Amino acid sequence: MTTAPERTDLLKELGLDVQNHATLGRVLGTGKIGRASEGSDGRMQATIRINEDELMWDPSILVMPHGGDIDLELVNDDKNTHCALLPSNGDRKFIWLVNHSRGRATLNLDGPGYYWYSSPTGNDEGRGLTGAIVVLGDAPPEARLDRPDQPQP
Amino acid sequence: MTTSEDYVDAGEAIDQGNLSGKMPGGEIAPPVTAAVTYERILNARNEPHNWLTYYGAYDGQRYSPLDQINTENVKRLVPAWVFQAGTTGLIAGASTYSFEAAPIVVDGIMFLTGWDGWIWALDAKTGVEIWRYKHAVPFDVSLCCGNVNRGCAVAQGKVFFVTANARLIALDATNGKMVWAKTYGDVRAGESATVAPLIVKNMVIVGSSGGEFGVRGHLDAFDLESGEHQWRCYMVPKPGEPGSETWPADGEAWARGGANCWVTSTFDPETNLLYVGTGNPAPDFDGEVREGDNLYTDSIVAVDADSGQIRWHHQCTPHDLWDYDSIAENILFEKDGRKLLGHFDKNGYFYVVDRTDGELVSVTPFVDRITWGAVTRDGRVTAKLYPEKEGEPVHFYPGPAGAKEWTHASYSPKTEFFYVPVQDTGATATRRRREFKESIPYWGAGVQVDAEDMAGSISAFDGNGEEKWRWRNELPMCASTLATGGDLVFAGEATGEFNALDARSGELLWQFQCGSGHHSNPTTYTVEGRQYIAVPVGWGGWAEGFLPGMLGAGHGSALFVFALPEPA
Ligand SMILES: [Cu+2]
Repeated sequence: MTTAPERTDLLKELGLDVQNHATLGRVLGTGKIGRASEGSDGRMQATIRINEDELMWDPSILVMPHGGDIDLELVNDDKNTHCALLPSNGDRKFIWLVNHSRGRATLNLDGPGYYWYSSPTGNDEGRGLTGAIVVLGDAPPEARLDRPDQPQP
Repeated sequence: MTTSEDYVDAGEAIDQGNLSGKMPGGEIAPPVTAAVTYERILNARNEPHNWLTYYGAYDGQRYSPLDQINTENVKRLVPAWVFQAGTTGLIAGASTYSFEAAPIVVDGIMFLTGWDGWIWALDAKTGVEIWRYKHAVPFDVSLCCGNVNRGCAVAQGKVFFVTANARLIALDATNGKMVWAKTYGDVRAGESATVAPLIVKNMVIVGSSGGEFGVRGHLDAFDLESGEHQWRCYMVPKPGEPGSETWPADGEAWARGGANCWVTSTFDPETNLLYVGTGNPAPDFDGEVREGDNLYTDSIVAVDADSGQIRWHHQCTPHDLWDYDSIAENILFEKDGRKLLGHFDKNGYFYVVDRTDGELVSVTPFVDRITWGAVTRDGRVTAKLYPEKEGEPVHFYPGPAGAKEWTHASYSPKTEFFYVPVQDTGATATRRRREFKESIPYWGAGVQVDAEDMAGSISAFDGNGEEKWRWRNELPMCASTLATGGDLVFAGEATGEFNALDARSGELLWQFQCGSGHHSNPTTYTVEGRQYIAVPVGWGGWAEGFLPGMLGAGHGSALFVFALPEPA
């Protein structure tokens, strides 16, 4: 058993956060965390990369400060072809990312929670190319329950 | 090192639907819903080639006068086409989805919702996808009863549906593009949405889900053109409001009281009342923290359609300790000139109520095993078995999925019989007190539903509560029935069989194995004079609640559409 701060070290020591060490692929949820930047108009922006031979998204957890539109730059620095399937209101967004390519995606996400994104080709998702986009924030005031504040976990 | 110029330009990500094999330019549906008005929905039964609204008509009968398919020829019914809704990539709540929609059909175009924010427009004759819309639903949204959606509504050029993260969305019905979206629930408080919206006049009516998370259930109305909020009706009164005397005077039990309206209402234009079933009180099984009757939980509630005010109510299970939501449909019918409604409750009793004033007409049991308590003909309720003592297991019938779950009975004005899908299953609940925390399930017991010794049936009742026939099944029946003018009752089984029964005798006339269990709402329509029967098939959802013995069954995600063979 580990405490939270020791977790990163132990994942590394055991080889759970890389390709083909303890496991065949990377255990999901062991990647880096990044924040989207926000323009003065509220529109957000971030870059997500696939680094060589890592088979993971960098960052694998991207945090948006609130719901809305985000412009992503997607960079494949790997020497293999991958793709991206991204959550967005209206339809999911899809893009091929041949080796050493860069592309763009514009997403609209409307509220708090986390949303998966992945590379659904081969078994990229199982090897580690599964990430999460986390949207911060609350329901708008007019949608909340009329009641006193309640205890939260 | 490389410079950015070295990269291949991968361009801009596209809508995944562009890669679904559709013909370019084929993604526009004819404007069939442009002329769908309140007047037309009021008279939905006059256009039986369409299925215009969730129950087929405001009365909730789930009856179609179509009679091309009848007791004589139904044995020749064959699949006309199949729509496969299977999907790529991870979905929200992958382990719990189920296909529960009621397909809506307007002049040859079908509008169909799936789980996880999906909605499609299909050619109702061929099954070819015209457009699709996918709302992005958070993976971590609180879903008490599975990742499910029960359907959409159409009117005035738009199609309306809700998403699990408590959005009401209006799309342009020709191209599936969003016109407006409103948030009407708080996902951080454990609220979600699963209901099929109902169009009444210029309003879209929706209810909230999340009763197992200690929320305060409500019904909301929005202007269908602008999306502007019209009214909200809470089903748990605040201190001082009528009914608040049925909750503890001190404390906050009322604020966590449940009573969600997560199934579509029926509507009577003459009384101008919406007939709403409300969900269980929270916590489900620990009644000591909410002494009293707990209005308006587990009730049939009549709500004025224009003001959102409660006009009358009848509570089926006061101070519920068994998770007996009364969310089920209230079927409007007439008998001896009296305006009535029929309601098959989860608690095992069939209620007939005068829908003008809420006066109880009759109460009769519709399932064999009822041990939780007894309801007399005049509605008096005596509890007998319930999880009273901390840590002490209590077994009772019916279990928390009820003698009938949310899935709907139907009523044929031709035979004057109700056709109810019956679940005869018990459960053991062991009370475990817990503190309330927002967004955490608030049950107050450990519950184990029986995985053996169960039964089911399609049972036919008349308006006096007299059983007329029963078609027995080894397993509970967990899908809505459909009654037709061809004197047929369609009923899907948990094991995948789709059945046609003789509406007068209950005789099994036709059966087709769909490959996955039924937990949805079949509908019927015609295109170019040919009658079709459409049924979404996809086992899942809250299976541990209504049939834990089938938790390992394949999920499936197909819409089957049947018709008689075309003449050679
Ligand atoms: Cu419940």
